[in-house]
Amino acid sequence: MAAARPGRAATGGGGAGLIAVVAASLALLGLVDGACAGFRSSVGRTGLIRHRTSDRRAARRGAGLAAVLLTPAVLVACGGALADHSQAEVFRRAGELMLEVYAPYGLVVIVALVAYATLGWRERYLASAAILGPLTLLRPAIAILGAGLAVGVTRDLAVALSVILAVLAVLTVEPVADRLWYGRRAVYRRERTSGSAQSP
Amino acid sequence: MLKADAVARLLEAGQRRAARIVSRMPAPGGVMDPSYVDALGIRVHCELLRLSEELQFGRRVEALISPLIAGLRKAGPETIRVVDVGCGLGYVLRSLAAAGRLGPDVQLVGADLNLALIDRARDLAAQEGLDCQFICGDAFRPQAAIEDPARTVVISSGLMHHVPEQELPGFFASQADLAVAAFAHWDIAPCLWSTVGAWVFHQARMREPVSRHDGVVSARRAHSAAALQAAALAGAPGYSIQVAEAPRWQPRALDVLRPVVGVLA
Repeated sequence: MAAARPGRAATGGGGAGLIAVVAASLALLGLVDGACAGFRSSVGRTGLIRHRTSDRRAARRGAGLAAVLLTPAVLVACGGALADHSQAEVFRRAGELMLEVYAPYGLVVIVALVAYATLGWRERYLASAAILGPLTLLRPAIAILGAGLAVGVTRDLAVALSVILAVLAVLTVEPVADRLWYGRRAVYRRERTSGSAQSP
Repeated sequence: MLKADAVARLLEAGQRRAARIVSRMPAPGGVMDPSYVDALGIRVHCELLRLSEELQFGRRVEALISPLIAGLRKAGPETIRVVDVGCGLGYVLRSLAAAGRLGPDVQLVGADLNLALIDRARDLAAQEGLDCQFICGDAFRPQAAIEDPARTVVISSGLMHHVPEQELPGFFASQADLAVAAFAHWDIAPCLWSTVGAWVFHQARMREPVSRHDGVVSARRAHSAAALQAAALAGAPGYSIQVAEAPRWQPRALDVLRPVVGVLA
């Protein structure tokens, strides 16, 4: 039936289980990405040597912010999926297409992060220099590529709306974290409240 | 300094992007705002600190100077001093102090010409309870930071590309004339890969336009191993000099930052 509709990509059979797996995978990637974005917003601000506690707090904040910012995209997807079974299949297919792009990227990042956290200093340097740094630069392009693939193949309006909201959400976690907690103006507001402010 | 003069000098040097960055800075009455410049310098160095962490700078320095320190320890029980010239916010010394692996008989002293950076370095060391000292001083006149040259190792990181090639012998001579035990100065190994890597990393990690601009410019103006070797031999003739560098077209990621090491013969 899906294939008979003009402008709609054919979708195979799925099932609630598969849809849940795809959705959960994307959600997990979104939260991990958000945690990394929160971390990136906070580092390189204070000059302190010991900052693991603040790094973890920043990662939690980033993940939480990602969850909030992704909510509109999730609501659109849930609304579409629950309204119509065939729409759920379209969303599943879009999710699979996004995972085809995001999952390898996410896996490489996670492996590099584990290496950075556990190995010797030379391996940590290589994990950062060869993988984490360049992949940070590629991240916006990867996000847009996955979204473009999902929208281009499924050609569905609701999918397009959900996907665009999701990409905007993940790309704004770091700027919003800057505004809320770590940027100069946020620090100045905090210091002004405590009476130790210097002009931003 | 007058902003117009700063912009003109940058344009004369062909640095149009830097000139644009400076032209956007506040300058009441046409004079660069010193408090803005100091605050910017601190922000830039905080960002650089992040880069130093990812490049594992503290561990690199520790790995190289530990044998030098062990050698000095064998020669006598007196205090050994590691002096970082052009230390900025003192990341290297503070990370060495935080790691605590060099030993309790090693004193860590940083010197920089920029008082704002030195003040912040002191605050940061005090905040984290790190045993290191910071003084305002010229990298070309390190004697203010050196008490016993025979038991002193002088280091620096990312300083030499700021020194014109013709002045490098004088830089090495300023330490050799004091007869310090050894020196080790790290800088970027100039090649296509380090320039590309500098661009990638500064785009990915730095927020300030100044940081992003300077990262690539620094990689491009870094001195070759041959130039450093020649300058060190000329300025410190009584020292055994070593500079390791891979061929320019072969990427050796670990060696993108490499030291010129001199040990008093």
